[in-house]
Parts: sequence; structure tokens; C-alpha cells
Amino acid sequence: MNAFILFFVVLIPCIGGVLTAVIPWKKRTHMLVFLEGLVIANSVLVWLLLFHPPQEMFTMINLTGNLTLAFKLDGLGSIFAGLVSFLWPLATLYAFEYMTKEEHEKVFFMFYTVTYGVTLGIALADNIVTMYCFYELLTLVTVPLVMHTLTREAILASRKYLYYSIGGAAFAFIGMIFILIYGESPDFILGGVLDAAKLGEGTNVFLLIYVLAFFGFGVKAAVCPFNSWLPQAGVAPTPVTALLHAVAVVKSGAFAIMRLTYYCFGADFLRGTWAQYLVMAVVMFTIVYGCSMALKETHLKRRLAFSTISNLSYILFGVVIMTPLGLVGALSHMVFHAFMKICSFFCAGAVMHQTERHYIHQLDGLGRKMPRVFAVFTLSALALMGVPGLCGFISKWNLAAAAIDSGNVLAYFGIGTLLISALLTAIYMLTIVVRAYFPGADFDYSKIADIRDPNWQMLLPLFVFVIGIVGFGLCSAPVTELFLSIAQGGF
Amino acid sequence: MDYILLLPVVFPILAGIILLLKKEYQKRTTLLVSVGIVLLLTGGLAFGGIFLAEEGITAFYLTRTLPIFFKVDTLGGFFAGIVTVVWILAGFFSFEYMKHEKNEKRYYGFYLIIFGILIGLGFAGNLITMYLFYEFMTLASMPLVLHSQTREAVMAGLKYLFFSFAGAYMALFGIYFICHYGATLEFAGKGVIPASVLSEHSTLFLVVTMLMLIGFGVKAGMFPLHAWLPTAHPVAPGPASAALSGVIVKAGVLAVIRVVYQMIGVEFLRGTWVQTVWMTLALITVFMGSLLAFREPVLKKRLAYSTVSQLSYILFGLAVMEPEAMSGALLHAAAHAFIKVALFLCAAAIIYQTGCKRVEELRGIGRGMPVTLWCYTIVSLGLIGIPPASGFVSKWHLAVGALHSGIPVFSWLGPVVLLVSALLTAGYLLPITMQGFFPGEHYDASRFEHKEPSVLMLVPLLILAAMTILIGIMPGILTGALDAFAGWVM
Repeated sequence: MNAFILFFVVLIPCIGGVLTAVIPWKKRTHMLVFLEGLVIANSVLVWLLLFHPPQEMFTMINLTGNLTLAFKLDGLGSIFAGLVSFLWPLATLYAFEYMTKEEHEKVFFMFYTVTYGVTLGIALADNIVTMYCFYELLTLVTVPLVMHTLTREAILASRKYLYYSIGGAAFAFIGMIFILIYGESPDFILGGVLDAAKLGEGTNVFLLIYVLAFFGFGVKAAVCPFNSWLPQAGVAPTPVTALLHAVAVVKSGAFAIMRLTYYCFGADFLRGTWAQYLVMAVVMFTIVYGCSMALKETHLKRRLAFSTISNLSYILFGVVIMTPLGLVGALSHMVFHAFMKICSFFCAGAVMHQTERHYIHQLDGLGRKMPRVFAVFTLSALALMGVPGLCGFISKWNLAAAAIDSGNVLAYFGIGTLLISALLTAIYMLTIVVRAYFPGADFDYSKIADIRDPNWQMLLPLFVFVIGIVGFGLCSAPVTELFLSIAQGGF
Repeated sequence: MDYILLLPVVFPILAGIILLLKKEYQKRTTLLVSVGIVLLLTGGLAFGGIFLAEEGITAFYLTRTLPIFFKVDTLGGFFAGIVTVVWILAGFFSFEYMKHEKNEKRYYGFYLIIFGILIGLGFAGNLITMYLFYEFMTLASMPLVLHSQTREAVMAGLKYLFFSFAGAYMALFGIYFICHYGATLEFAGKGVIPASVLSEHSTLFLVVTMLMLIGFGVKAGMFPLHAWLPTAHPVAPGPASAALSGVIVKAGVLAVIRVVYQMIGVEFLRGTWVQTVWMTLALITVFMGSLLAFREPVLKKRLAYSTVSQLSYILFGLAVMEPEAMSGALLHAAAHAFIKVALFLCAAAIIYQTGCKRVEELRGIGRGMPVTLWCYTIVSLGLIGIPPASGFVSKWHLAVGALHSGIPVFSWLGPVVLLVSALLTAGYLLPITMQGFFPGEHYDASRFEHKEPSVLMLVPLLILAAMTILIGIMPGILTGALDAFAGWVM
């Protein structure tokens, strides 16, 4: 296919989003049909691109010298683009029902749809400059979504989000400059672009720069100590927390770190250095920290947000193993976690939408009243714990296999932290499930008599995710092999 | 291809799920008849699988390197056989017992699901399949623990769940390493990890083995992670505690044998600190369990502590790493399964008929429930180890194996602890018999008059008591195969 389409799929949602806000819709339904149609059409286009990838790149603007904004589809990018474009139509569908209870719908959908385009921009970026630009843009277009309810809490949260992200981007900027100066090319090339001749004696400086850039991009991936924005941003409407704060935004951070590690600095250059040990230790700490915080959190969505913090660091753990297998583990957890977490967030959102209950102790007995939602929630909880037969098991397996294969002793301890975290996950997820299904012998069901499952617009996405969770869990070989061929540069 | 191995696994699980999803039954009888038919059919299929299957079957692949594979060997068949017998008997017992509990449909649904899972655990032909069913077993058995939904039961259920998962994840840590370094995942005779790898990474593998021992030991109630067992087993409904305490704990033993003997291999472990630590933990558990049972006034809790102690008899027998001790341990596993199920069913029958839960309330109960108390007495003798009941032979083999092993200190310390614990066992089990039959001259036991339970409860008890005697006087029916298995893995 023509490389121009790469630019096109980024552009469509941006224009469509703005149109949504501008056009004076007579009926709500018209707007919804327009939006859903637009998003689906764009996703179809993305998937067509994935199956017929254009070989050449598309240069949008040449800023100066080697600073160009350009798009190209490679293996890593196609995974992220495929993931995002699969989830977006479903999340939009879910949002239609969810937003009936919220105000300023049009503005919300404008930014929500524009974010789609921007995220695709990150996935399809050909070089670090393009990625950086879209990365900054992502921050800007998602701030209004966090702020949406305009309560004091929401404004504080969005301010924090803004400061953290911009600050992080500044560090990432330093990394970008060094890559532009000392790299052979600004493009992403598997194995790294650093020019050995230009490096000279300054290896330690480069490692330091890597660490800075890691933490810079790591802000979006909620790496410790830059993670406190994520639980706070949970005040946003659920479609935002579910899709953006479990997949699109936070995984852009993880994706950027993958690009940085494997495609800019190069895994071979970093492996075995102090920089690797440092970031790995931080990531391991984040894994346990996120779970422990989730354990003591009583607000349902915030608990899931802390769980996201921990799970994002699973992905980063895979990345910082710095072997092809590590990248396979990271990619599989990136994809599988997206399904599991968006699923559990949507369940939480469905509960909030139907019952106005936000805290875990209010969920007593809902399992019987909202059977479908809680069946799905249970399944996603089991998947997050890593019960075999569901997709979480496979991604943890890939991560552990990579860690053992690397022979790095710190990574062995990393497996330990993964398992500790799995136990903590079991505790913080299953207490919810047990509460919902077994509220106690003397529980009075008449108090919650008129609570029921939401309508099909909310349920359909859930069922699709369930198919994903079980399907990937039982038959993961094709996906894992695809990841492996990407990590080895075959695609 | 042995499709017959899949049937007894899939059929009860599907039946259980269908039962859970169905609307409430109009008549209780319909529910019971359908559950009874499923139980019996599964039993037939399971024995069909045990005796007919030869090759094994790969159901599907989780990833390219992780097949879900079923195959029956001596150990797996032995386990599945015990499960089947116990599950059917306890199931029929529940038909009467569950009358006075709520949510019967949920109970039977999960009861059937676990039946399938346990058979799957027995038939599992490689490590990953075993782990899969092991986790499922924990998840599916939790609803039985918290069935009554009292606050105590729910907390006990959560405790059970979290201890079990802690154990399972410790084991998973080892499974990652075994899968990476092992030549195959299938259970083999003397370990699957090449000797060169073991000697190169010996510290790593010792640590990993220890972790797996403690991890799988959780299910078998081994110190230090035994605390869930006396909390979780007694709160379940009677037949469910019997099944938990008699059979599900054995899954831990099965997993330990699979890992230590058939994956890592005892050649590597013999004489290492892992063996010493393992034996020490087992002996501590044996003694501690008996002691705690001795001073426990609530009958079902007393039996649960007894399980803690008896399971570590088995683990000690395995830790010695001698063929004779191992076949003694396996024999004790079978004997303990039947005995402990019978004991818990007796306790359940007493609770069902009289409501008495504490030991001191049972004085004079022999007047009204003689058959129940006779069954209780016979199986108690078996647990203490008095011939001709079954515990004698198994403990004999255990002790002889330990003495033959020649391990310093433990070769004599072990049998001594086992004997002391046997005395304690007599001390906590027999007073019930004595006071039950001989309440004293002026004691009024009239409140127990005509309390004998119905046939549905008595027949399973009688069968279990008979099996205890049978294994005691004819251990040869089992020991032949068990000796061969012990020889194969050592």
C-alpha cells in the first residue's frame, strides 16, 4: 500500500474528532454513528496496513537537516498500532453508554478521538524526533480528558499529570539530542544506531543519558518514583482510565522505552552495564510497590490503577532484560495486559455506571445482581494473577523464560518479584471477587434488588476481551512467534 | 491416542459448570439423582482410564513448548483411584448431610468440578499440566470452604486461597527453571535435568528445590506454612472437609513426588542441606500437629491438626529418599485418605444428628450412635497404627526405611518422633471412643437415644472402615505396584 496512508490514518481521527465538536448535531445518535463509523473505518485501514505494509517511509515535513517528521511501519510499531486500533472502536462503543451520565460529551469525544490519531502517530513514527513530537502531543490532548469533570480533584490531577509528563519529556529530550548527535541515523534500527567511532571514551556519559531518558519516558509508564499521577488521574471518566491509563498513554511510555533501548541505544551496548542493573532494580521495586499500594487502596478504580503501575513494570522488566527474548516477554505482556486491564476497568466502570458505587466495600453481593459483569471481572482477575489457561500466564512465562535465559542473577530475583506480585495480585483482586459473590450469610439482597447488568453497548466489548483473554491463553503460539520474529529483526 | 483419559476429566467439570449455570431445581431428588449419576459415571470412566490407557494423549499446546499432556503412571493412577473412591463415598454421604445447608446446587457444582480437576491432576503427564490443574484445584475448592458464608468461613476461605497461592507461586518459580534446563517436561524415572547442568548450577537448583518443597508443602500442611489447614478444613460442610482433608492435601504430596523424584532426581539431593531441612521440617510438623491436636477441644479442628501431623509422616517418608520408606509413605497416603475421610464423616454425622461439636459433649454418644462410633474406633486404630488396621503396615515401612537409610541422627530420630506422635494420636482419638461407650455410671446419655444416621450416611462409613481393615491385612494389593514405582524413581 501507499506509504501516504500511514499519515492518513493518523490524520483521520484528528480531523474527525474536531468535526465532532464543530458540527451542530441534531440528535445524539447521529454523532455516535458518525464517531463509531469513523473509528472503525480508521481501524480497518490500520489493519489493512498491517497486512500489506508499505516498504518505504512517508516524510511529512523536513524541519532541518536530519530532523524530519516521518512515518514508517515496522514490526514493533505494527504491534502497538494493531493493539490500539483493535481496542479503540470497542472503547468508543463503551463510552457511548457510559457518557450518558456525564456532561460536555462533545468535547470529550473530540479529544478522545484525536488521542487515537496521536497514539497511532507514536506507533508509526519512523524516527525519534517524530515519536517525541507525538509523545508531547499526547500529553496535551489527554489533559482535557483527565480534567473532564472539572471538579477540584480533577483539575489537581490533570495539573499533576501535565507537570509530570512535561518534566519527563524534558529528560527524554536530552536522550533524543544525544541520539541525534552521536547516532548514525535518527531512524529506529533494531540493534541501535550509536556510532562507535563517535562514542570514544564517554561510555559512562551515554549510560547516564540512557538512564535519564529511561526515566523521562518512564514517567508515562509510571515507573517509580514518577507514578503518583496515574492513580490520581483515575478521576477521569472510565473510558479514559480504561483505554488511556491502562493502554494507550501508559503503553506509549513503555513503547518509547522499547524504541529507546532496542532501536536507539541498542541492547548489546547496554547489556551488563550499571545502567541495566540500575533500571532493572527500579523496575523490580515498582512491580512490588504498585501491588502493595493496590492492596491498601479501597477505591476500586484507584486499586486497578495501582495494579497498572505494577503491570507496566512487568513490561519494562522484559525490556530491561535486553535480549530478544526479553522483548518478546515485554511485547506479550504489553498486548495481553491491555486486554486484561481494560477488561477489569470496564467492569469497574459498569459497576459505577449502574450503581454509583466507587469503593470496594460497597460491592457486597453484586455478583448475583450483575452476573455477566462479575463473571468477566473474575476472569480478568484470574488472568492478571496468571492462572494457567489465561493469557496472563503466558506473558509471565515469556518474561520468566527470558530472565532465566539471560543468565543475569538480578533477573532471577526479578522472577521472584513477579511471583510476589502475582500473589499480591491474587489478594487484591480476589478479595473483590469473594466480596461480590459471598457477601455473608445474613446479607440482605433486597437492598440491591434493582441493580442489573448494563446494556449491550457495555457488555459487547467485555465479551470481546474475554475471547481475547481466553484465546491468547490457550493458543498463544502464533502471537509469540510473531513477537519473536520481530525481536530478532525478521519483520 | 487414549481419549479415555480426557473423559473423566472433562465430563464432571462440564457437568459441574452446567449445574452451576442452571436454574434451581424444583425437586431436590432430581438434583441428587443427576449428581449421583455423574459421580458414578465419572468413577467408571476414571477406572477405565487408569487400567486401559497406555500411550497418553496431548490435548493441546499452550505454547509451542508447553503441551497439555495426559498420561497415567503408577503414581497418577494410584492418586486418581483414591480420589475416585473417596469422592463417590463422600458425595453420597453429602446427599443426606447437605439437607440442612443452603445453596446445595452451588455445593454440588463445585464438588463435581473439583472431582474432574483432581482426576486431571492424577492423569497429568507433564509438569505444566500438573501445575494447571493444581491451581484450578485451589480455585475450585475455595467455594466449598466458605460455603456457609459466615464471616469466619469467608475469612478461612481467603486464608486458604492466599496460602495456597503463595505456595503455588513458590513452586512456579522452580517450574520456570526446570522448564528451561530440563530435557523434557514429562515425568521421568530419575529426573530430567542433565547431570552436567545440575553440577554447574548446584546452588541454584538446591534453592529452587527447597522453594518448591515449601511451596507444594503448603497444600500438604507442612510447617512453616501449615496455618491455613486447621482454619480452613473445619469450617467447610462435613463431607467437604472430609474431601479436603483426606484427598486435596494429598495433591501436595503428589506434586512433591513429581518434582523431587521425577524432575530433579534424588541422586542430586541425597545428603544435601535440602534433605536435612526437609526432614527437620517434616518431623517438626509431625510432632507439632499431634500436640496441637491433643489439646484441641473442637472435634473437627482436632482432626484437621491430625491431618497436619499425618501428612508429614508421608513427607518424612519421602524425605528419607529410600525405596522402602517411599512405598511406606505412599501406602500411608492411601491409608490416611480413607481413614481421615471416615473420621471427618463420623464427625459430620455426629454434628448432623446431635449438633455436638466439642469433644467433651460427646460423652455417652456410643449409646445412641453405636455403628458410627464403631466405625470411628476402627479407623482410629488404623491411624494410630495398631494391627490389623492399615496404619500399622505403612508406619512399619516408614520406620524401617528410615532406619536403613543410614542418615546420621535422623535415621533413629525419625522413628522415635513417629512413635511419640503415634502415642499422642492415641491420646487425642481414643478418649472419644472410651467416653462414648463408657460415659460413667451415673451419666445420663438419653439425649443421644436413636440418633443413628440414615443408611446414606452409614454405608459410606462402613465401606471406608472395611477398606481400612482390608489395606491393613492385605497390603500386598498395593505394595507390589508401589515398590515397583519406588524402584523406578530411585
